[in-house]
Amino acid sequence: MQSWRRKSLRLALSASWLLVLLRVFPLLRLTVPARPRAGAPQGWPRWLDLELLQSFSQPGELPEDDPQPPPAPRGDSCDWGACFDVSKCRGGGLKVFAYPVAGPISDTQRGILASIESSRFGSVSPDEACLLLLLSLEAPAGECSPLPQQWNSGRNHLVLGLHPNFCPQTFQLGQAMVAKASPTVDTFRPGFDVALPLLPEAHPWRGGAPGQLGQHSPHPGVPLLALAEERGGWRTAGTEFSACPRDGHCEQDHGPEQTHPGATLPNATFCLIPARHPDALHFLQALQAGCIPVLLSPRWELPFSEVIDWTKAAIVADERLPFQVLAALREMPATRVLALRQQTQFLWDAYFSSVEKVIHTTLEIIQDRIFGAPAHSSLLWNSPPGALLALPTFSTSPSDFPFYHLQRGSRPAGRFSALIWVGAPGQPPLKLIQVVAGSQHCAQILVLWSSEKPPPSRWPKTAVPLTVLAGQRKASDRFFPHRALSTDAILSLDAQSSLTTSEVDFAFVVWQSFPERMVGFLTWSHFWDEARGDWGHTAEKANEFSMVLTSAAFYHRYYHTLFTHSLPKALRTLADEAPSCVDVLMNSLVAAVTKLPPIKVPYGKQRLEASPPLAPGGPDPQPPAQDCINQMVAEFGYMPLVSSRLRLDPVLFKDPVSVLRKKYRSLEKP
Amino acid sequence: MCASVKYNIRGPALIPRMKTKHRIYYITLFSVVLLGLIATGVFQFWPHSIESSSDWNVEKRSVRDVPVVRLPAGSPLPERGDLSCRMHTCFDVYRCGFNPKNKIKVYIYSLKKYVDDSGVPVSNTISREYNELLTAISDSDYYTDDISRACLFVPSIDVLNQNTLRIKETAQALAQLSRWDRGTNHLLFNMLPGGPPDYNTALDVPRDRALLAGGGFSTWTYRQGYDVSIPVYSPLSAEVDLPEKGPGPRRYFLLSSQMAVHPEYREDLEALQAKHAESVLVLDKCTNLSEGVPWVHRRCREHQVYEYPQVLQEATFCVVLRGARLGQAALSDVLRAGCVPVIVADSYILPFSEVLDWKRASVVVPEEKLSDVYGILQGIPRRQVEEMQRQSRWFWEAYFQSIKAIALATLQIINDRIYPYAALSYEEWNDPPAVKWSSVSNPLFLPLIPPQSQGFTAIVLTYDRVESLFRVITEVSKVPSLSKLLVVWNNQNKNPPEDSLWPKIRVPLKVVRTAENKLSNRFFPYDEIETEAVLAIDDDIIMLTSDELQFGYEVWREFPDRLVGYPGRLHLWDHEMSKWKYESEWTNEVSMVLTGAAFYHKYFNYLYTYKMPGDIKNWVDAHMNCEDIAMNFLVANVTGKAVIKVTPRKKFKCPECTAIDGLSLDQTHMVERSECINKFASVFGTMPLKVVEHRADPVLYKDDFPEKLKSFPNIGSL
Repeated sequence: MQSWRRKSLRLALSASWLLVLLRVFPLLRLTVPARPRAGAPQGWPRWLDLELLQSFSQPGELPEDDPQPPPAPRGDSCDWGACFDVSKCRGGGLKVFAYPVAGPISDTQRGILASIESSRFGSVSPDEACLLLLLSLEAPAGECSPLPQQWNSGRNHLVLGLHPNFCPQTFQLGQAMVAKASPTVDTFRPGFDVALPLLPEAHPWRGGAPGQLGQHSPHPGVPLLALAEERGGWRTAGTEFSACPRDGHCEQDHGPEQTHPGATLPNATFCLIPARHPDALHFLQALQAGCIPVLLSPRWELPFSEVIDWTKAAIVADERLPFQVLAALREMPATRVLALRQQTQFLWDAYFSSVEKVIHTTLEIIQDRIFGAPAHSSLLWNSPPGALLALPTFSTSPSDFPFYHLQRGSRPAGRFSALIWVGAPGQPPLKLIQVVAGSQHCAQILVLWSSEKPPPSRWPKTAVPLTVLAGQRKASDRFFPHRALSTDAILSLDAQSSLTTSEVDFAFVVWQSFPERMVGFLTWSHFWDEARGDWGHTAEKANEFSMVLTSAAFYHRYYHTLFTHSLPKALRTLADEAPSCVDVLMNSLVAAVTKLPPIKVPYGKQRLEASPPLAPGGPDPQPPAQDCINQMVAEFGYMPLVSSRLRLDPVLFKDPVSVLRKKYRSLEKP
Repeated sequence: MCASVKYNIRGPALIPRMKTKHRIYYITLFSVVLLGLIATGVFQFWPHSIESSSDWNVEKRSVRDVPVVRLPAGSPLPERGDLSCRMHTCFDVYRCGFNPKNKIKVYIYSLKKYVDDSGVPVSNTISREYNELLTAISDSDYYTDDISRACLFVPSIDVLNQNTLRIKETAQALAQLSRWDRGTNHLLFNMLPGGPPDYNTALDVPRDRALLAGGGFSTWTYRQGYDVSIPVYSPLSAEVDLPEKGPGPRRYFLLSSQMAVHPEYREDLEALQAKHAESVLVLDKCTNLSEGVPWVHRRCREHQVYEYPQVLQEATFCVVLRGARLGQAALSDVLRAGCVPVIVADSYILPFSEVLDWKRASVVVPEEKLSDVYGILQGIPRRQVEEMQRQSRWFWEAYFQSIKAIALATLQIINDRIYPYAALSYEEWNDPPAVKWSSVSNPLFLPLIPPQSQGFTAIVLTYDRVESLFRVITEVSKVPSLSKLLVVWNNQNKNPPEDSLWPKIRVPLKVVRTAENKLSNRFFPYDEIETEAVLAIDDDIIMLTSDELQFGYEVWREFPDRLVGYPGRLHLWDHEMSKWKYESEWTNEVSMVLTGAAFYHKYFNYLYTYKMPGDIKNWVDAHMNCEDIAMNFLVANVTGKAVIKVTPRKKFKCPECTAIDGLSLDQTHMVERSECINKFASVFGTMPLKVVEHRADPVLYKDDFPEKLKSFPNIGSL
């Protein structure tokens, strides 16, 4: 018994000891070594005498810098602060004078000069201009035009050439800025020069072809890659690139491949563009095609790199790592591919599709530099509709524009201003005022009195402030950015318009969901007239529409600014001559910005038959200014109107439920 | 452990029967054992046990013990920096190779003390900041201790301040680094370049092809896309505690706090002060401070003493004038105070200008316009100024506040150049967290109406209701724009009917068999889907007419980034219960559409399957419910847009209760759906659903117009 006990005790003891040894000894062993084990990563040492280390600069050393006089600009190098005199642009903003071209002039050059003159920057005299523009000739060497008299060693001059090879006057540039196609990175002066895209010979000077992207995501069957070829075409390849040697050339045929002739656009997800210079042309083709450009170590500056964030639309990769690049392309997440594709299209449409856009973008960049802080933000440059359509003179805050609410997580304000235009008959729209003032969303009523008759001295009492503005009896005056228009939303009305409060309320609530579009009641549609070979428009009832009449429509007040300051002068004049044209112009302008159709909301039909149509042109289904739409297309360079086949109704509109459940029940009254 | 404890418990019971002599012996023995065990336990559970310490592998040494290297007078010198260097010419990218994580590997040379022939040190061994910088790199994901795998090399030779080193000898020290190779892929950090009298704007130490992260580059010395412009670190960042002060108008409109200002410029500033006495404050060095007061922390205006950098928080704009050097540590202090820097330093390359959008946080004024600065600043709208104040503070927090922040931003920029396809975006670099959080980036942002010719793919999820399924197939096949029909057969116990039994339709019909009966199978991005538009339809939705479906597709084309569906639903806030409630009654508002019949872009299938936040996807599959609500949440959250309900209300056969039958269960069903909404709202961290009061009808719906001339006459029939 005893021995059993002793045995078990001894067993217990030895077990405990063993355990203690096993557990404690490894710890002891680990605490011992002063040097780390071999093989483990060694970081930067933690110094024991860390406290003794001194700062890299002693307190007081920094401020003790000897104050130095400003250095003079070094030699022929220039930057914006040193070589451009901004004070000349104070007051009038950027005014550009373009020197007339001596000698024979090409179509493109004529186009450039015309687009500068017609832009809001155009100026007729070199004295009032703050930027003087010298068009560089793409002439063979030796035929350079002499420097103009006002040259002043190039100060406040912009030498513009759409081709990379200037005539040899380059060395005399002095303090002039250079805007040329695909400048080499080594000579380009960031923040001073402007990098232009290399345009093909036949680039349209206005309007321009739309992007080729028909859908957001790549079609499943489309090849992953197209490779720019030296002859100017594209070679598409499947997903196998093992045949492509290091320099990025795929010499041998592998898998389904085909070579396109030079003119066609690549049809692939990615477009591989090698570093060689003429491949800048391929770059624009890829953009237009919605094929994501993959630039292999380009030696040229990307166009408008000062403002365009190319990382959102293209991939600049190292040509020395072709396999890694290809692997990365293959593994690129769907989300990124989707975003890059769409951005190529947006950039093409906003800045590159015509010579005019390229020129205007160049001037806009220079204007932004002059403005300094209150200029376009990166968001405005790099998201639709683009900086050319977001005027910094209107606002610099994205939330003031109709386009950026979603991106910024904001909403347009919940009130509107009614702007009632009183034309020739001069009847005060008393009933309409009461109807509009009855809306809970109405902030104020503005009456734009454009009649020969004097306005009445007394106006009805309304719940909201009513202001009478003296109009200039011009149709374009309706869309002038009057100071009194303080709300984001405008309800544009004619004195003859007939609406109910319910209709106004519902339309406004819809507009809040679509603040960048026009929301209206009566519609027109446009069509292509095969017989006449031109565009027409009609007020006839149809299954689709592309315009809403501004005699009763909600839209953002920014479109007044855009109409007045951005629409070509010729079109504004046209509106004054043929008042019914304003509807076409306003709708085209908004469609050109949004690329989307307007929105129609329901309108009580009884009044449509009882009262004359709201169109100022009278009952004629074809408004008188037949030419209006064609002139508009000529000025825009393309047909911006987009058709829609739907109408937005209240959720329970004419549903078989008790009318008491319905919020907008008066919309359904027979 | 367990076993031994057991014995120990039993042990003491034996003791009383033993002799005292033995007893003492045993007690001592057991105490030793117990002590040992306790000690083991303590070691085991000590919170900072030695094994888990990250410092374990780090050498603990004294700086004074570092090896000394003697540089012979004639040892080779690197060439001066090559101004034409670019990444594709001077950087050896092969060293970086392909890395699936898209991260460069950085090696740090070990610390040495360099002395010349006569034993005089070449420089201070290492400064506090450079040590901090190397520690930050060493602790980061970039670090490697394997010199052969490294892509970037950081010498431990401290060149932060050119004034503390001997130029020629430092260059010689660089040249003898083991992988120097003309400086290829070597990165030097320098904050104070140049020296009297001409103050070069880049480090004067010849460095051949090495990249320079420099504070104070000018346009003449900066190699765009090769060098990195970094801030001059302000030691005050660590010394002084300065709590954040929100944006808004402040006591002074414009403040100048620098001490070493060129007399000409001080004259300009004094003139401003004289003109706008109330709103401009121009400070200078204090001349009459009592002993012991740290003069670095004080600024004076005549006899008035101000605390620095606290005084910066009293101003909206703060002038940062160049001194002899372009880069000024004051910039860091100014940003930190949320004061918008007015940078007056011609040709200065702002810190991290390659990625940071300084237009959002600063105003750059040409030196010759210093006297006009007041007018220029007055021209900036107030709202924009507040935005800039917020942005300034954010830049400081993210990229200026510590040496570590500066070091990591520098490496990130170089990393972005080498792996451009994995680079951080403009927004990631520039948007403050609050903006990042509130903003929406719609994945289908391009305004685009896809061509009608593309058509849509109908996806019917079915289990075993073959008869109903065949009716749905027959009905849907009548829709002109249908391009393919995909049946997702979700029943693993039963085979789909034989080919010959299926209805003969004019478009391809594919049957996909699933591995598990899961609701999320409906939203899987099948390869068979070739069109962008997808129509999800239940196998019992036979009441939709061909006109209604075709019209739905047309509406989707006008709103390709939204869910376009037939039955609409609403979420409501229940004030009594303080939670969300699901509503399927006839309401004037809509915030969801049921996916029992809905068009949407196929990209949302990808999002649903691979990017659904939290555990929502598994939760839906486990509960066999609410996949449609999850889809509504997902789309609304990513696009910020509302759904579009099309066509009038119809009598749907309770389309959402396919899993359960009978009216008695309706109540439980509603409760369950409400729970889904609450669960999803908590996972998304917000309520993304948007409420609207409209639905889409054909333009001429219910209009007085000949029915036969309408495009979609058969709409709304019950």
